[in-house]
Parts: sequence; C-alpha cells; structure tokens
Amino acid sequence: MSTILQVSSRMRQCASSLESSLTQAVVGSHAKILRSQVIPITAAITTKINARHLSSIQHNPRWRASGVLDSYVAQPARPISLRQLVFFGGRNLDEKKIIDSANYVRTELPLRIAHRIRDMQKLPYVVVTNRHLSEVYELYYKAFESFRRIPEIKSLEDNEKFCEIVKTALQEHLTVIPSLAMGVLECNDLVPSHELDRFMNVILRSRISRRVIAEQHLALTDTFNSPFHFPDSVSNQPHDFVGEVFLRCNAREVVEQVGKHTLELAREANGSTSPIPEIQIEGRLDTTFPYIPSHLEYIIGELLRNSIQATIDHHSQSSTSLPPIKILICHTKQHIIFRVSDQGGGIPIAELAHLWSFAKGPRAINYLQNFSQVPKMAATLQELQKTAHTHSRRESMDTSLSRLTSRPPNLRLGMGLPMSRVYAEYWAGSLELHSLDGYGTDVFLQVSKLGNKCEQLNLDGV
Amino acid sequence: MVGLGVPWRGILHPRPVELKGLDSLVSPSSFGRPPLTTQSLLTSARFTREYLPVRLSRRIRALRNLPYIIVSNPNISTIYNNYIDSLTAILAFPAGSLTNLTEESKFTELLTEIVKTHSNTIPILAKGFLECRGYVTPEEATKFLDHHLRARIGTRLMAEQHIGLHLASVPQPPTVSVPGKSYIGTVDTELRPAEIIESCASFVGDICELRYGTRPKLTIDGNPDITFPYIPVHLEYIITELLKNAFRATIEANSPVPVIATIAAAPGPPDAGGITIRIRDQGGGIAPDDLCHIWSYSFSTFNGSRSSIGSGNSGRLEDVDDGGADGGVDVMGRFTESAGALETSSIAGLGYGLPMSRAYAQYFGGSLKVQSAYEWGTDVYLRLKGVGLDGV
Repeated sequence: MSTILQVSSRMRQCASSLESSLTQAVVGSHAKILRSQVIPITAAITTKINARHLSSIQHNPRWRASGVLDSYVAQPARPISLRQLVFFGGRNLDEKKIIDSANYVRTELPLRIAHRIRDMQKLPYVVVTNRHLSEVYELYYKAFESFRRIPEIKSLEDNEKFCEIVKTALQEHLTVIPSLAMGVLECNDLVPSHELDRFMNVILRSRISRRVIAEQHLALTDTFNSPFHFPDSVSNQPHDFVGEVFLRCNAREVVEQVGKHTLELAREANGSTSPIPEIQIEGRLDTTFPYIPSHLEYIIGELLRNSIQATIDHHSQSSTSLPPIKILICHTKQHIIFRVSDQGGGIPIAELAHLWSFAKGPRAINYLQNFSQVPKMAATLQELQKTAHTHSRRESMDTSLSRLTSRPPNLRLGMGLPMSRVYAEYWAGSLELHSLDGYGTDVFLQVSKLGNKCEQLNLDGV
Repeated sequence: MVGLGVPWRGILHPRPVELKGLDSLVSPSSFGRPPLTTQSLLTSARFTREYLPVRLSRRIRALRNLPYIIVSNPNISTIYNNYIDSLTAILAFPAGSLTNLTEESKFTELLTEIVKTHSNTIPILAKGFLECRGYVTPEEATKFLDHHLRARIGTRLMAEQHIGLHLASVPQPPTVSVPGKSYIGTVDTELRPAEIIESCASFVGDICELRYGTRPKLTIDGNPDITFPYIPVHLEYIITELLKNAFRATIEANSPVPVIATIAAAPGPPDAGGITIRIRDQGGGIAPDDLCHIWSYSFSTFNGSRSSIGSGNSGRLEDVDDGGADGGVDVMGRFTESAGALETSSIAGLGYGLPMSRAYAQYFGGSLKVQSAYEWGTDVYLRLKGVGLDGV
C-alpha cells in the first residue's frame, strides 16, 4: 500500500509537468496512449485517491506466448567488431555484400532484442509496470514481433523494403533513452540502485549494438545506391566514411565543433550578456582515428556541458573573466586520450557517490523534473544541422543522441556521465573522473583506436 | 626466542576501547590542548603504556606466523627481535608508577628510544624479503608488508603523539626542539600544504641536481593559503614521494614544462570537506604495462638485478641494486638519510613510494589516485581529510 502511495505522490508532483510535457511531441502514437492514461490520473489526484480511481490506471499487461521468445533467448548473439564493420563495407561493395549485411541485421536484431525483453521480464513486476519502462517494453516487443517475421532477403528490392522497416523502428525507438532514464529514476526506491544500474548498463550497451549494426546497414545501402559510388574507384570523399564510421575522425576538429556548439547553447541558456568560459585545446592536435562521430560528439558534448555550466555557476559572483576549460588530446598506439580540465569548483563528496548511477539516490526527483523540460523530441532540420557533420548522408538521419545534445547545458538530467561511460566503454574505452573539491574537475576519456585487433564490441552479456 | 610469561599472552586479545581508532587519539578532546596539565599528561602516558604493548604484540604475532625460513633470515630476525625487546622494555615499566612527572619523563625517554630503534624497519624488512624471494610468493609478501606497514603507521603515531605532548607540556632544555604552538602532539592544527610542497620540492630538487645536474620547476596554484589540521611528517612523506616521481619523469623526458601542484579546499569550514592536492607533470606518463605494478611493493622486480619494471617511465626515482655490501642503499638513500625526514630516507628507491603514500593517505580516510596519459604525463590526486576534529 505504501508503495502505491509513494508512486501516486510522485505522480502528484509530476502531474503538472506531465500535462505540459505531453503537449510536446512525444513521438507518434505514444502520445495518444499516454493522453488516454493521463485524464484518469489527474482525475484521481484531484479527487480523493481510492481504490476505484486506482483501478482506472491499473496496468493490464498483454499476455504473449513466451515460447517464441524462449527460442530466441536460447541463441547467443553474434558479436561483430568495428574492424569487421569497417572492412566489410570498405571496398568492393556489391549486391551480394548488401544482401548478406541485410540478412545479418535481419536475424541479429530480433535475437538481441529478445535477450533484453527477457531481462525486463525478470525485473520485479512493480518496476516493469512503471509507465515509462512499460512503454519501452511494449516498443521492444513490437519490434521483436515485426522483425522476426521478415522473410529472408534475396534481392535489392527486398532490401529497400527492409531498410524502410529499419528506419521506422529506429525513429520509433528514439524515446527509449529518456524513457528508460525516467523510469529508473522513478523506481529508484523500489529496487536496489546497483541492480537498476546494472540493468541500465546492459540494456544501453545492447541498444548501442543494435543501432550500430542497423544504422551501418542503412548507410551502406545508401553508399551503394548513391550516384557517386564506383565500386572500384579510389576517390577520396565517400570512402572517408564506411557507413557510420568516419575513418579519419580528427580529434581536434570534433572537440572544436562540439565546443562551439555547446558554448552557443550555453550562451542562449544563460543569457548573451553573461560571461562564457573559453575552451582551450592542447596536445597532439593532428590525431586522427576511425570512429563513429555521433558517439564521440555525445560524450565530449556531455563533458563540456558539465564543465561549462560548472564554471559559470561557480564563478557567478565574480565579475572577472572565467577560467578556461582546458582540453588535452594525446594518443598512444591503442588509445586516444582526452582530458577535460575545468575550474568549476569540483564535485562535493556527497554527490560523488551517485555520480555514475542512473538511479541517482535521494536527488532523483530533481532530475525527474528536469526531464519534462527536454526540448521537443521531434528534431527539426535546423536542430540537426547544428549538431551534425556537414555530410549529406548524416543530415537525413536523426539520431537519438542529437536530441539530447541539443538541450541547454543548465538542464541537468543526471544521465550525462553514466551514459557517456556506457558509450566510452562500449568501444573498449574508459571514462574516469577526478574532483578537486573547491577548485575544479578533471575527466579522462580514453577511446580505443578502432580497428585494433584487440577491440571487441561489448554485447548482450557476451 | 625470548621466554614470555602468562601476562604477555593476555595482552594479545584486543580490547574494545583500543579499537575505537587512532583518529580520536589525535583529537584535542582526548587529552586537551598543550601545554597539558600534569593530570592529562599522566593520563596520556598511562593510555600509551596500556595500549602500545597490544599493538606491538600484534606485530609480533604476525611476524611469528610467517614461515620459519623467512623469520630466520637475519634481517627479518633483527626486526622481530627489535619488537620483542621493545615490548619487554615497555612491560618492564610498571604501569602503576606513572603518578608523577619524573616517572612520566622516564617513560617518554623509553618511548623515544623505541621509536628510534624502529625507524629503519622498512628498508631492513625489504632487504629481508628480497633475500627470501624464493621462499614466498609475491602476493603473500605484498599482503604481509601492506598490513604490517599500515599497522606500523598507527603504532608509531601512538608513541610519537605522547612524545609530542610531553615536549609541549614539560619545560625542555633549549637544545631540544619543541613542537610549535599550533601543534597537538604530532598534529599541526594550522598546517599549510603549500609550505610543505615548497620545502619538499626544494629538497627533491636538490637530489635531482645531485643526480641529474638539473632541477625541474614547480608552480603552485589553486588555493595556496589554505590551512588544515594534519600530521606534517605524513604529508611530507607523501608529497616527497609524489614529487620524486614527477621530477624524475620530467627530467627523463627532457620536458621544459614545470610540475604543477594544485591545492583545492572543499568549501565550508576549513577542516570539514578536506583538501585535494593534484600533482600534474608532463613527463611522459606511465606505460600501460607498468600501470598494474605501481601499487605493489616492488616484488615483481625481485628477479633481476635492476628493479625497473618495464621502461624507464615506471615512475620510480631510483633503482635498487640487488646484493652488494650496501644492500640497496644508493645515492638517493644515502643523501636522504641525512636529511632526516620521517622515513623518506629509508624508503628511497625501493619502489615503495606509491603504496606507502597511499597507506598514509588512507590512514585518516583520505585517498591517492594516479591517472596517466601515456606519452604525455601523469596526474596524481591526493585527497586528505583534516585530522582530530571531533570534540573541538
């Protein structure tokens, strides 16, 4: 009983922001479902909460035969390394390769999603019936059902149809990250934090893996179909990208671009008259390496966002110019290292404990409230152009990360660091943070130079 | 083996009061601020007389549980006998006689002797384990040393704390150096980290000039004026070890970039959140292969003659020379012996710097973290909490 009261008191707190956030586009059909649930909720809160009202928001899970899922869960995923991705799509991209790639994606996606669905099914009932997590669950199941039914792809036409299905699914699943995050925050008193964090890490890692292989296939199809594609040519431009992988990601350029963008957002959020810190880059500035730019941009963006906001907040009393944020770029044979040093006052010990957790401990409610203010989910072309590379292929592909990267830096969601760590560790890298309480913070991002023999995609429990 | 009677055996069982931790030992509320009243000083003496034997006997027990062949080694046997002698001497001092200052002064003299006897424990133990490396696994040795050295910090602290209180409370002849006004025993309640860093930098710089002919620069930024209560000799030890690593790396990389020490103080009352000191160098960093060894007590090196693990950038300022009449005391060791800093002399060049520094840092709830960007430089983060704050 107390749990229900806790949940409903939280609903009370979120009810007002719920209405306003619903008018922002929560993608597609989900808005309709939620809207139908909201009216009974707010009715329940404004009148007395009793059993009758509670029953109107009862969760009635759709029953599905689990036999089908079992057979998929029993099969292990087939991991792929980025080296393989790069070589597969590199030269000699022909029809057979495209069809092979399509069938790989066609069989891997439902397999990997099945594992995650099973993970969710094993969570406590009260957690999966949380409205956000329940949304994600339904999305995943729908995707599973749809993908497992696709017949073998035998021709380029089949592939075109397949790509359309993949694109739609990718679009629909854009809400997954915020939904998961909000769901975990709301459930943080129902399940021990470490279990929630473990769940989030596994599910996010798997999500990265699925989107990478899906987006890679779409990009390869594009390359193949593009009028500039000559399988035997050695021209430069199109071959800098192998699908989503940018072979010659220049560390300094990425940092400069992300830096510029984040500073602009900060200027907008804090007012154009308030001082903004400078970003200084030093180190081995000619470093290039193959990577997926959107991942790197996301991580660097999160780190800069934290540093910029902390610097502004910490020095809000003083009128002198703000101390710069210094970024060091260096590299070893196997890694690229970014060190982001700021003088933003550091992180108090009390916060350090929950820094890397998705469940966020006692301050979860603050972050939940901020979530309702994440800018409109449907990205416009202008928003995309702010974040994307100037590469035609990528402008047409909305990524879930671009919505998060375009939010103002003072909107604290509490997810930046744990999410960045998932991305960093995904490609066999690491993210470490050291705080000088009272002075500033240093963050070390170590990124594997992809294409190494020793790097492996981390996948579902493999 | 010294014959030890029944009373001694009784001491081996820890008593609840003694387990409350040494942090309260250094608090002003324990015995008051110096100069202490006679009564308080006698209380401190009686406390030390009661609990020091417990700590010593635990060390003895740990030692005598080592394999026979290890403790038979002359070096380790020397240490073992030192502990037995010290314990016997303390036990021979009748607890009941600590009722006046004369007796208390005698007791303090005894403590001073004991502290002096044990000041070289670490290099001698190290030599002993080095000679025994065929008979014990590196993991066993590391485990023993780690535990022993950490316990030793507390034991010495207990003795030195009383000595310090005595010196500050009982008038001394002018030849004896007496703790300053801000001291409570070994704790300086107004310790300024910047001062310690400057003096350690000058000291380590001297060593570098002697050995390499050059001295790297050091700049201090952040909050150089902050003070907090801490034990100066501990901080000196840690900073000296860290600067040794940073300076040596900088020189060997021929880097003109100065070593930067940043002092940060957590907001709020000056002693609440603690101090963080970052030592940043651009000396090329630590090779990934060496990273897993930096916290070990140098054991993996005991196969060859020189102790450098991997490349020269392993961060240790000196190499141990296996064998030879000197048994491991090199230029570094001899020079720093004469400088007289607590234990810095003894541990120079044995590769104990980082693990020991971390033991000191962690003793009062602090931490020491090393972050390296290989082929660029290293950042070391030392976090310390103010000491002896309860009951102020």
